[in-house]
Amino acid sequence: MSADPNASGSMTAVRNGQWWKLSLDSWAVVLALLAALLVRAGVFKHIPW
Amino acid sequence: MADVITVTQVQLVQPVFRYLRAIPGVLLLFAIGYAGKLLEQNVGAYAKAHYWTFPNIEYVLWAILLGLAISNTVGVPEIFRSGVATYEFWLKAGIVLLGARFLLGDILKLGGVSLVLVAIEITGSLAFMTFLGRAFKLKPKLTSLLAVGSAVCGVSAIIATKGAIEADDEDSSFSIAAILALGAFALFTFPVIGHFLHLSDKAYGLWAGLGVDNTAEATAAGALYSDAAGKLAVLVKSTRNAMIGFVVLAYAIYWASKGKAQAVGNKAAFLWQKFPKFVLGFLLISVLATYKFFTKDQVGTLANLSRWAFLLTFAGVGLRTNFQEMRKQGLRPFAVGAIGEVVIAGFTLGLVYGASKIFGW
Repeated sequence: MSADPNASGSMTAVRNGQWWKLSLDSWAVVLALLAALLVRAGVFKHIPW
Repeated sequence: MADVITVTQVQLVQPVFRYLRAIPGVLLLFAIGYAGKLLEQNVGAYAKAHYWTFPNIEYVLWAILLGLAISNTVGVPEIFRSGVATYEFWLKAGIVLLGARFLLGDILKLGGVSLVLVAIEITGSLAFMTFLGRAFKLKPKLTSLLAVGSAVCGVSAIIATKGAIEADDEDSSFSIAAILALGAFALFTFPVIGHFLHLSDKAYGLWAGLGVDNTAEATAAGALYSDAAGKLAVLVKSTRNAMIGFVVLAYAIYWASKGKAQAVGNKAAFLWQKFPKFVLGFLLISVLATYKFFTKDQVGTLANLSRWAFLLTFAGVGLRTNFQEMRKQGLRPFAVGAIGEVVIAGFTLGLVYGASKIFGW
């Protein structure tokens, strides 16, 4: 469930400035880390479940 | 000059349009997932108020059932499809965030045990599926795809292997359909068997992570049992996912040696390309949580964010499962997959049972 057919081009895409062509995997990591940083910075104080 | 401006504008607009196009489907995932959550809260309370005997059905199952009902009756309209396909994205983001609930020591301890079990499971599954494919006279590359799909991690492993061994589109469609159909079956049978055998959360979580092939279904099958089992199923499944590069590389080398696929040049680059990056994200968040980068409340918030991401995933699992489409794919690969999965499920249950005796779980 992990490997993405687009993963091969991730680094090339970043180097070429085509950042939106990152693999699905990498985008998920970027979004999750960003969310974690926002929680750490106190932007999101409490998210209910 | 005008041409350059037009091309640049198109290049900028295309990805933006792609993301905008996903919005209706993401909203549908959210609506179904949230409806599942509301049903969990309200159906139980209503049954209790009216003195009915009604099983406590978790939001996970409601979300999957609602998705299945839509997909297999009215179908998923075109406008929602690209957004519904993002369910894997939410799954991976959810797994990364779930890392906050694991301390590094737990990962090393459980990861060590699961690594040994995963190695046994992968070796056993690859050998058995290859034997079964030959016995049923399936095409060799189709057999390879089914073996990798059931041994490592479902659909993504099949897609990665297809590219590496240059298999036909038809073979990969067969394998994906078989793995998805059997994943849907496992989703409903694993919790029932787990309860029947009175498996502990730990033993069941290990079994779901080892025995269910697709990460979304493994996560859902674990969460259907209990929160603790779901956590462990994700950890074990991620360990399996981390092996994908090595298995695909081995198959690529094997088929290249037969002159039926391109030789692999830089093996390290190949492994990195196939390695699931979300496993690294999961470990990073876990390291940060271990070294108190987050407060206790913040860890709770991250865990809730992870649950919301999984909510969208579970709705997507139901929505993308269409039994009619699966039936069209033919019987033989499905029969091989089904026999293989039943044997692998029994084999992994035996492994977990043995481990639980040794470690006293």
